Amino acid sequence: MDGLRRFWFGFKVGAWLGWQIESNWTDPFLFAVYSVIKPLAAAAILVVMYAVVSRNAFEHPLFTYIYLGNAFYMYVGGVLQGVSWAVVEDREHYRTLRYVYITPVSFMAYLLGRGLARFVITTIAVLVLLASGVLFLHLRLDWAAVNWPLFLAGLFLGVTMLAFMGLMLAGVLMLTVHHSWFVGEAVGGALFLFSGAIFPLEVLPQWLRPVGYALPITYWLELLRRTLVGSTARAFPTFAHLETPELFALLAAMTAGVMLLGGVVFTACERYARRAGLVDRVTNY
Amino acid sequence: MRDDRVLAERVPKARSARLFFMTVIGRAYPRIIALKREKSWLAFDILLPLIGVAAYVFVYRALDAPEAYIGFVILGGAMTAFWLNVLWGMSSQLYWERESGNLVLYIMAPAPMMAILLGMALGGMTATTLRAGVILVLGSLLFGVELSVQAWLPLLAVFLLSLAALYGMGMMFASLFLLFGREAWHWVNLLQEPVYLLSGFYFPVRSLAYWVAVLASFIPLTLGLDAMRQLVIPDGERYGFLPVSVELAGLAVLSVVFIAAAKFLLDYLERLAKQEARLTESRK
Amino acid sequence: MDRQDWAIRTERLRRVYKVREPGRKGELVALDDVNLTVYRGELFGLLGPNGAGKTTLIKILTTLLAPTSGRAWVLGIDVMEAPHRIRPRINMVSGGETSGYGLLTVRENLWMFAQFYGIPSPVAHRRIRSLLEQMNMLDRMHTKLSDLSTGLRQKMNIARGFLTDPEVLFLDEPTLGLDVAAARDVRRMIRTWMAAHPGRTVLLTTHYMHEAEELCDRVAIIHGGRILACDTPTNLKRRLQREAIFQIRTGPMNGLNPQTLERLPGVRRILYRVTPTGVRLDCYLEDEAALGPLISTLTEHRVRLEALEKREPTLEDVFVHMVGHGLDEGEGTHAG
Repeated sequence: MDGLRRFWFGFKVGAWLGWQIESNWTDPFLFAVYSVIKPLAAAAILVVMYAVVSRNAFEHPLFTYIYLGNAFYMYVGGVLQGVSWAVVEDREHYRTLRYVYITPVSFMAYLLGRGLARFVITTIAVLVLLASGVLFLHLRLDWAAVNWPLFLAGLFLGVTMLAFMGLMLAGVLMLTVHHSWFVGEAVGGALFLFSGAIFPLEVLPQWLRPVGYALPITYWLELLRRTLVGSTARAFPTFAHLETPELFALLAAMTAGVMLLGGVVFTACERYARRAGLVDRVTNY
Repeated sequence: MRDDRVLAERVPKARSARLFFMTVIGRAYPRIIALKREKSWLAFDILLPLIGVAAYVFVYRALDAPEAYIGFVILGGAMTAFWLNVLWGMSSQLYWERESGNLVLYIMAPAPMMAILLGMALGGMTATTLRAGVILVLGSLLFGVELSVQAWLPLLAVFLLSLAALYGMGMMFASLFLLFGREAWHWVNLLQEPVYLLSGFYFPVRSLAYWVAVLASFIPLTLGLDAMRQLVIPDGERYGFLPVSVELAGLAVLSVVFIAAAKFLLDYLERLAKQEARLTESRK
Repeated sequence: MDRQDWAIRTERLRRVYKVREPGRKGELVALDDVNLTVYRGELFGLLGPNGAGKTTLIKILTTLLAPTSGRAWVLGIDVMEAPHRIRPRINMVSGGETSGYGLLTVRENLWMFAQFYGIPSPVAHRRIRSLLEQMNMLDRMHTKLSDLSTGLRQKMNIARGFLTDPEVLFLDEPTLGLDVAAARDVRRMIRTWMAAHPGRTVLLTTHYMHEAEELCDRVAIIHGGRILACDTPTNLKRRLQREAIFQIRTGPMNGLNPQTLERLPGVRRILYRVTPTGVRLDCYLEDEAALGPLISTLTEHRVRLEALEKREPTLEDVFVHMVGHGLDEGEGTHAG
């Protein structure tokens, strides 16, 4: 099997299996509730925080900034979790990691495929959030003014970047024990602080801002905001000096860097796991 | 001593209370020893959540919110640790125990299931308390939050009763895992964010509509957090939902109800699971 | 015998599982009308192929599963009425499974389980040392479970069963997957324990005939959820004494169907096994006179005869006699 076929088969079977697992619900109603309630509740926390302090000033650009940032940030937790958690789930729960690992398909591609199902589910949640924002919270989203090609290209770049970040995390999880909480979501929660998702980077102390500027997620969220609500996004100074094409190019370059780094880190962790005999251990405690 | 005598050595029959205590210690042990053997929890359980909480602080900063709100976030962020410990360290842990084959051994042992669950919870409590403490102390220092305890005894009572009710509720959820597998796991997962919202982890619960806040009070953390904020944050009373004494009484009732309900449900669902052959069945 | 001497008793025990497969609804009868008595101090074997109902019976007796109908008592206590009174007095080990947490050492895992039975730590530690010594794994006492081989994990699991000094110990295929030496250690351990504790009872399920023959005082043969026979191994084998059993080793069968041999007069059953060196035929004949036509048929088909041996009946022969095929059917065995 050549390299491309190994990758494609690994990705395909990972995606298929991921969907089988994620959609293995006894009750479709629960599935729907689950895909909608969790993200809606998370968004509602921010909405209430905003409403309490601003006295319901939903027409202010900051609200659109926070709401959109939070909605698309769901991809961060979702994709990071989807790709990385497959390691823990296959190793500790299904006990199939060792069997998948020794097949000729690319293990890396298999994990990326496993994240695809979470991407699909997160997309449903994002759409529900956007629709709720427009319908109930005066979210300034003019569908006709959206730069769709750029939006879709940006979304694709960002999700690819996140998948490879998830791969780095998957490598780390191959070396660590099974803790009881979701590591992908925990990392996603921490990066929330630096990525300008729910407040402009200028709010952070000077010494913390470089972390935000170094994160590709920050550029990705800014690009998505600009494609969806151009003028509102430009009301915030973080990337005012960058034209949209420049922002896109930067994001593309950073994504390429993350892909390279993700591959290297994952391969290094995987090798270490093999040397230390950690590939198929069961560590739940 | 000869081998056969060692095995036959008479052991006084453990009284219920003693067996309960020994079981708690026994099941807490793996969690505690894991802290020493697997240091990665320091990053995942302390550092990342602290950073995550900070994000909500900066939202208030971006909105120019009154300083008391920063204190609300820090206190709510600290208490999040206990909620997550209940959900992921105890309730859904039975899911993993079932898959690894340990659940049947727990059921078959004379040890009460509540003691095993409590052992899991207390074992995880070391890391949880540390996480809550770090968020509280470092968060207060970093963001200049002023905390001043006005009455230690009520604060301690609120804290302990909140935990008792919370862990009782967690045990109720855990009972679902005796009958269901992945489905129960999804139900528990579903609770995480809605409880953040309804319990007012990051804002005073009275910001919600009155009746929503009343209904949310059935979640032990709602009343607990609100009372703690009133007792710890200067000016906290201004944002309080109900008087502390009422909240304290509510928590006491919730503790009793949840613990009793947990005991009933654990027994009932175990019986049902035995009839339906679900205890030993891995429902992957 | 007196009721007081019963360690286990079942009466018309029945268990039906609901089949919950997509597109297929129905019921599966795992146990049907099982009446069994095991006396205190007995090492009792349950012999049956996979799916015979052995594990279901053990689950009911260990309070993990409710019967659909019928009743069961362990140490005189009804499994449905007072499971909490049974649990401190029994233990169970399932072969092929491990127990405990990979992060803990062997000693820590065993200590933890001892706590669930209220055994004080000093006693627990003494017992752990003694058991590991008997299982030849004392040197692995401080090894993490995740670093043990599969066989050693299983041995630790077996040690867990003895740790609580149960009055009734349920061993469900305890040597499944163990290598020869480890299986021997386990069998020795069971014998030693029984000898040292005359009042203790073991219910052992296995599909290794020699294991049942070597260890058990009495054996029940279970098939399709029903107990077909229950007696001492000697008495069970005595049932076949009127039959003549021959083992014939041959070269390739050259197209000769074992069913052709079974149709010969006086031939009751032929058990056919392919071995690395050729074919083994276990021939159950009404009497020795049937051997002549059998040999003639083989030679007519130019089947090379390599060895012929008359042998005493074994438990496996009893099983074949009752069920109609060997325990290892599907693994190169054909029964007519």
